[in-house]
Amino acid sequence: MNTNLKISNVTKIYPGCIANDNVSLEFNSGKIYALLGENGAGKSTLVKILSGVIIPDEGSIYLNKNNLKLNSPLDAKKNDIGMVFQHFNLFETLSVFENLIIDSDEQRESLREKIEEIMRKYNFSIDLDIPVLNLSAGQKQKVEIIRCLIRNPKVLIMDEPTSVLTEQETSELFLSLKKFSEEGILIIYITHKLKEVMQLCDEVAVMRRGKLVSVSQIKNENLESLATKMVGQNLKTIKKKKASTSSDQLINITNLNFISEDPFETNLSDINFSVNRGECLGIAGISGNGQSELFQVLSGEILSDKNSIEFNKNYIGDLNPQERREYMVAFSPEDRLEQAAVPQMKIFENVALNNFKSSNFFNNGLINEKKIREHSKKIISDFNVNTDNIDLKSQFLSGGNLQKLIMGRELITSPDLLICFNPTWGLDVGAINYIHETLVNINEQNKSIILISTDTDELLKLSDKISVIHKGKLSKIMNSDEVTSEKLGILMGGGEID
Amino acid sequence: MEEKLIKITKRDQPSKAIFFLTPVLAIFLTLVAGGLIFYVLGFKPFEALKFFFIVPIADMYGFSELLLKATPLCLIAIGLSFCFKSNNWNIGAEGQLTFGAIVSGGVALLFYEQEGFYILPIVILAGAIGGMLYASIPAILKTYFNTNEILVSLMLVYVSKLILDYLVVGPWSNPEGFNFPETRQFSDSARLPLLFEGLRIHAGIFLALAAVVMSWFVFYKTYLGFQMKVSGFSLKTAKYAGYKGKKMIILVFLISGACAGLAGVGEITGPIGQLHREVSPDYGFTAIIVAFLGRLHPVGIIFASLVVAITYLGAETAQIFMQIPKYTGQVFQGMILFFLLASDYLLFFKFKFIGSKK
Repeated sequence: MNTNLKISNVTKIYPGCIANDNVSLEFNSGKIYALLGENGAGKSTLVKILSGVIIPDEGSIYLNKNNLKLNSPLDAKKNDIGMVFQHFNLFETLSVFENLIIDSDEQRESLREKIEEIMRKYNFSIDLDIPVLNLSAGQKQKVEIIRCLIRNPKVLIMDEPTSVLTEQETSELFLSLKKFSEEGILIIYITHKLKEVMQLCDEVAVMRRGKLVSVSQIKNENLESLATKMVGQNLKTIKKKKASTSSDQLINITNLNFISEDPFETNLSDINFSVNRGECLGIAGISGNGQSELFQVLSGEILSDKNSIEFNKNYIGDLNPQERREYMVAFSPEDRLEQAAVPQMKIFENVALNNFKSSNFFNNGLINEKKIREHSKKIISDFNVNTDNIDLKSQFLSGGNLQKLIMGRELITSPDLLICFNPTWGLDVGAINYIHETLVNINEQNKSIILISTDTDELLKLSDKISVIHKGKLSKIMNSDEVTSEKLGILMGGGEID
Repeated sequence: MEEKLIKITKRDQPSKAIFFLTPVLAIFLTLVAGGLIFYVLGFKPFEALKFFFIVPIADMYGFSELLLKATPLCLIAIGLSFCFKSNNWNIGAEGQLTFGAIVSGGVALLFYEQEGFYILPIVILAGAIGGMLYASIPAILKTYFNTNEILVSLMLVYVSKLILDYLVVGPWSNPEGFNFPETRQFSDSARLPLLFEGLRIHAGIFLALAAVVMSWFVFYKTYLGFQMKVSGFSLKTAKYAGYKGKKMIILVFLISGACAGLAGVGEITGPIGQLHREVSPDYGFTAIIVAFLGRLHPVGIIFASLVVAITYLGAETAQIFMQIPKYTGQVFQGMILFFLLASDYLLFFKFKFIGSKK
């Protein structure tokens, strides 16, 4: 049976911003639709409206000509709309089976048969009786998908599903999605990754600033045309010059270990690497394989053996982040809102978090507000942060602007080494471009970067050398021109290459 | 057919005006609810409220009594604001007050026959140190053994009261005191001077005002205050910035303990002049309400301490003149906190009145 989903003149207004401005779209089963847009373009709002999380101010949703009243996620489920969110909603300590039956009132036995049948049909192999915390991200996502499939959905919405997957897992997911589509499930695929749209989808709807800007057939589009539609302007292409073959070693990590007391953290074992001046070392890996721990050990949030980290001929393994900064190391953590900045504090206060002695932000224990303000103004203009009010609380900055502020704060003292972790996570293309440009510039000034990232494209674009972290262990370090994303994928999944 | 009269929506950001208005609203609602309670109990509500809130401070003596009660509340609340701003839940200020009183009382007793200008400063210092020592217990247990500071600090309150009990009944009891549970009177040199002839208000108020100024200065002007602020918002950020989180926790507990200890000094070396069983009518607990009513802001705390102090006085006046049980004072304190927490809902949500809709 054919499924037709129609969004008609949907508007959702938040104070100060129109999230969806009179959006009308029509979807038919048998095709895979992409909903493409930068962060803040209104995709998430639209998807939340479809899944009943948000109620629109105006407009209606029709499924096979029936006007749907979606006042809660439950209404969406009842109307056969399934949704897999970017962040998994699973109970880590419960088994896969328990997670699947938690919101169902069917009999356990019959449900188990049904689940096993679904898994056979789509070639999923997951042990139903192990706790979810033992699953990889790709498997967790399959659990979420099964949870939708149990209800025989007519519509399946996937929200940025590949952000945590490896290349292999991504192609597996795409195969499954194509199969679902053949079976008559209407697939709506939300993303800001252009390549995936080209690979997977049949039709693409592009949103920008709350408005629908275009609907077109994929066969009439290419990467450039989509990027231009999405951003609304042409993007500069970033070219990284080949690194000057410097052999001047800046940082050297030897026999670094970390054993965590927390079972949800990953132990690091026997980490060894070094980075030369002007070089960018990329560390790839699926999130949760020890990246966060590695970042913390490198930043000094977790202290280690004094001799395990040698920086510029000083041993700094036992120094805290502030002390390490004095040696001209800078850090940009993954979590912009929880760690790198305090959202409730003003911009200039957040600037003071990176406190070098020479910056004189604090004299004899007193706050030197004038100095901090001057410094903040300089960061804002030098790093293109889109505001001129340094008294603004940083929670009101967009992700991209906040990341620019953080990068600026870390880089304005021109440190010798920048350690950054997922610097472009969740940012829109324009901001990503800017950050990438900044990182390339750092290398050109003969400064070094350790780039820990889950985005393979980013790593291949920016790194001179690449290593992969898997279960707290680093692979051998490879020159980035010998590396392909397929090779990285194998290593990220724990495999071996020649 | 759906009828909606009020629509509740989330605010995008907490409103600043409402942040400072909710305490006022809470006090107003407390008065209304209090009036209702009086009415139900068979008293004339307006008369009762008058005896509760106006009569006690109608003359100079009453006003001095108000300041007398507000002093320890303000002092302790200032100390607590350091803890609460950095997410350390010190509930045991009453214990720190008691222990401060014990240590400073002990020192004062050592000097009971002596005179000298140096005695009072030593006694005051001893009280602060006593409070700090006692506050360091939950702080150290929290930082090094991951205990819950709420439980530890709260339970230590009862320990301190029993120690005090033991001392005033046993070893420190006045040898000429006919076995009353109290110590000797301290010498005049160990007493905080009274400010006016015939009134009980004493120099302890200057300690409270100094604490207010100190806390304002530390919070808004120093690196230390900045670090506390950051640690309070996010320990992860504090760690990333390289602040010493554990030291910070211990420090705020010490500051808070010192303030509570000083409040204890004020109680025993002020009008009373000796240690006895009841050094504090739960000032340490009531100060928690004061701290939140004052929005953890130094100036807010001054006003809040005055408001809450009235409930102590009003309870006594109402009992004397209208035979209303004096425990109504505590009912009022409870109501203020209750209404404050309830009206905080308005910080994050707003009500929109809309006509009935089909």
